Amino acid sequence: MARCQGTVESLCQGLLDLDDDKFGAMCSAFGYLQEWPDLSAMCGAGLGATGVAAPGAGDGNDSSSCSGSGGADAGGFRKRRPDAYLDAKVDGNDMSKRPRGKQQLQQLCGVGEIAAPGKGKQERPKPGAKKKAEAASTAAAAGQKTDYIHVRARRGQATDSHSLAERVRRERISERMRYLQELVPGCSKVTGKAGMLDEIINYVQSLQKQVEFLSMKIAASNPVVSFDIVEDLFGRQLKQACGPAALPAAIALPAGQLEPSCLQMSPMQQVHPSAAAGSTGFGLDMVVNNMYPPAAATCPVSAATPVNGAAAAWDIVSQNLFSGFDAQFQSVESE
Amino acid sequence: MSSRRSSRGNISEDEINELISKLQALLPSSRRRGSGQASTTKLLKETCSYIKSLHREVDDLSDRLSDLMSTMDHNSPGAEIIRSILRS
Repeated sequence: MARCQGTVESLCQGLLDLDDDKFGAMCSAFGYLQEWPDLSAMCGAGLGATGVAAPGAGDGNDSSSCSGSGGADAGGFRKRRPDAYLDAKVDGNDMSKRPRGKQQLQQLCGVGEIAAPGKGKQERPKPGAKKKAEAASTAAAAGQKTDYIHVRARRGQATDSHSLAERVRRERISERMRYLQELVPGCSKVTGKAGMLDEIINYVQSLQKQVEFLSMKIAASNPVVSFDIVEDLFGRQLKQACGPAALPAAIALPAGQLEPSCLQMSPMQQVHPSAAAGSTGFGLDMVVNNMYPPAAATCPVSAATPVNGAAAAWDIVSQNLFSGFDAQFQSVESE
Repeated sequence: MSSRRSSRGNISEDEINELISKLQALLPSSRRRGSGQASTTKLLKETCSYIKSLHREVDDLSDRLSDLMSTMDHNSPGAEIIRSILRS
């Protein structure tokens, strides 16, 4: 880094005797260069988003400013602004500066190639120099073709910095995944990203269903609640309970009280055995047993009576709904 | 480039992408924002917070429900709740 700054400074000194205005421009460009270490440190430290987003812009800028000189390197995004300064300057006094720029370029290349990990910092002053050399070469043509090789080398490094950002991004993703693994029960057993995502999706779905079910239950058991709210909740519950999407809720829960097949059972099948045989089935008595241990004996009867009486009036919708409700409720209870 | 990377495991990238979009569809915030593909990092972050908020909601609702149930227990045990459910 110190070496790079030194070269830039020497360049500034070279410019000093040429033109005051241009020197001013150069100094401001140099100011940018000095600011950049922070930026690159930030990029390295984990601003994957900026790192990823910036190269694209940098590429576009490079290719336009280099005008086919082959300098579309991904590192370009760091030097965009100074380029403007430098290019403007270079147009005026390219002949005096060109050899210097070229020399500097080669020097910098040597530094950059050796130190790949620390490259982020070394790259920064370099691009400015390279830009100058390129602009000079486009103006003076032929003899400077060797620069293009350096550009390529740098381009390789730039890809490296790109992949550095990519690596940071992937690191953050896997960190999130690990965090999610802790949040989602059973997820630690699953290996592979796909399995984990699958598990996470199922878990989120089951949680959503639980929330919906609980709010429905509250609405249903709250006497002051208006009818249409309950109906709406039941309608949504019905869609979920009847579809295959209801299965994850049962699977994700540890107790495993509920066989997935019960979701397909009709409510009458559930209620009748439970009313007859006491607390053996999954029917309402189970729910009631969980909620009211002392009242377990009386509840099946009281539950069964309205069911039987109203059964004729029920349409298929409410039957399915009922079974869905039961299943959901047991899922919640078992947790 | 990215396909090379993710094919290291024997899961195809398409499969992952499909799961990611499936997950995205579940999240309320991304559903609202439309079809714009958020970054995976952001998506996973949102998933974390969404799961946490769901946990909170479930806990809260469970508390409310058990409160409700315990008050009902005294009035008309069990039957009242069940009837109110069946009525709807």
